[in-house]
Amino acid sequence: MTDVGGDVLGGAVGAPSLRLGRSRLYLRRFARNRGALVGVVILVLLIGYAAIGTVFTPWSWSDQDFLALTQEPSRLHPLGTNQGGNDMLAQTVHGLQRSLVIALSVSVLTLLIAVVVGAGAAYLGGRVERMTLMVIHFLLVVPSFLILALVSNQVAGDWRVLIVVLTLFGWMFTARVVWSVSTSLRERDYVLAAELMGVSSWRIVVRHIIPHLGALLIVNFTLGVVTTVLSETSLSFLGFGVKTPDVSLGSLLADGAGTISSAPWLFASPAALLVLLTVSMTLIGDGLRDALDPTSTAGGRG
Amino acid sequence: MFRYVVRKAVGWLVMIIVATNATYFLASWFLDPRSNYRDLRPVRTDEQISNALAPYGLDPRTSVLSRWWHWLTDVVTRFDWGHSPTGVPVNSELPHRILVSGQLILVGVVLSVVLGVALGVYTASRQYGAVDRVTQTLSVVLYNVPTVVSALGLVLVAISLNQHLGFTFLHVAGANTAGGVDGFWPNVLDRLNHLILPTVNLTLTGYVSWHLTQRALLLDALNADYVRTARATGLTRAQAIRRHALRASLIPTATSIAFTIPAVLTGAIITETVFGWEGMGRYFIQTINKNDVHGAVAVAAFGAVMTAIGAILADIATVALDPRVRVS
Repeated sequence: MTDVGGDVLGGAVGAPSLRLGRSRLYLRRFARNRGALVGVVILVLLIGYAAIGTVFTPWSWSDQDFLALTQEPSRLHPLGTNQGGNDMLAQTVHGLQRSLVIALSVSVLTLLIAVVVGAGAAYLGGRVERMTLMVIHFLLVVPSFLILALVSNQVAGDWRVLIVVLTLFGWMFTARVVWSVSTSLRERDYVLAAELMGVSSWRIVVRHIIPHLGALLIVNFTLGVVTTVLSETSLSFLGFGVKTPDVSLGSLLADGAGTISSAPWLFASPAALLVLLTVSMTLIGDGLRDALDPTSTAGGRG
Repeated sequence: MFRYVVRKAVGWLVMIIVATNATYFLASWFLDPRSNYRDLRPVRTDEQISNALAPYGLDPRTSVLSRWWHWLTDVVTRFDWGHSPTGVPVNSELPHRILVSGQLILVGVVLSVVLGVALGVYTASRQYGAVDRVTQTLSVVLYNVPTVVSALGLVLVAISLNQHLGFTFLHVAGANTAGGVDGFWPNVLDRLNHLILPTVNLTLTGYVSWHLTQRALLLDALNADYVRTARATGLTRAQAIRRHALRASLIPTATSIAFTIPAVLTGAIITETVFGWEGMGRYFIQTINKNDVHGAVAVAAFGAVMTAIGAILADIATVALDPRVRVS
């Protein structure tokens, strides 16, 4: 009997092959994507720059060197100085830290709200679903950037407030995507089984629907970072986001914009960092999307 | 069809009214018109300031509800959008600014959609060809360039080009040359020249999403059964794409136009700031900085109207394209 069972099992598995753990499989698929790897390398370099970039300069971001106002990149100031004599290298390090912290925390928070609202609306259905969708659609078409500017200009200058404001007006699109995927998840047999076992609605949403959104959520997280960086930059550039004396990549761009033909280095370094940051996150997001795709059959061997 | 459009338009009208009034309350809450008078010398008392604001319906001593009602009746009965805290009528600012922003946004959106969809269709039907790979890479990079950076980059390029040529080939600031140009045609040419760079900027940042989504949608449609059936009836590949795959894949594109208008408005605000256009975007920044409640609300209403127009056009396009939608 045991022998027969073993045979049947062996036949089901097929040819003896190296069975990969799920995370190993994802990692292998991800590593095969050259663009994604480039993205990871750029991101690691950027995070390293934000973390230890200050070792390249003796100046702190708020120090002013009155002997070097608006100077081109030199040995003393590798990225030049601005009108106030601030060392641009120290300033970009600080600005990158600000932008990274804001982008990461807003992405996490918006994702949390979007998941709870989107999955909750899809599972509960009926009137709750209709009302939620109405609110989401309304907020999507309202020129939210205008409201964002209106609110953040009065309360901000403080980057922590900016995080709250960006979160409040940033969760709708992801919520809609989560909702549309969850509507198909709620029809699955395991959800029905859980219902018949008397599991509460809230518990079904948290334990059975949200875990199956995993891949979608990871991809949306990386793309959310891109979107947040872009809106934070826009707000700070227009003077409604991070304000002096604090510094973010957006406010550095705004400083550089006025002197673009006489002192282009003030514009170049924050712009380059910004584009590198968003490009790397997009490449990683694309790689993750391909690697986590449950319908993909790639990556089993080799 | 007509009744369908009217029904949609009524829905959007309700949306515009709700959004505009919500903005009024938000603006009254967050903007303090009194601060415009605080720095004046001789120093005014709070009462004097409130008295100065009273004729413009901004008196902070009256309740928000009564100020709102006053503002609303003026808008509804006389289409009077109120005054700034210093007494400048909002209506005197609106017409030329709407014209300036309207042409920028309209040309930008149309060019982005046409360019993006055309590129998407061309590259999808030649997947993994040289053109496909090059434009794909270009689009992914452009997708990640903030509007601020692309606008300032364009300014840099234009300035160096002008210096290289020795005369002003491309204007980088304003909607027309200050002081005006003599003659009708020189004037038109002058305005068109000023329009080039801002439009290029809006198009460069706007076309990308259309390109990438249209390419993906058409690739999906190309593998659909109905396209294979169409080929089997004897249509050439080009005919099958044009008559069946393209038409089906354009539907989701058309419906998503409405959701991109807010992003275009944001892009227009930044573009106007960088290129020095006195449009609605600049006006919005000024109104917020000057605590001008009525002006800010007027800009929000403008944004809502633009979104509604985009959405209604998208609905009409969907009806025209999608045989499953029956409206009569």
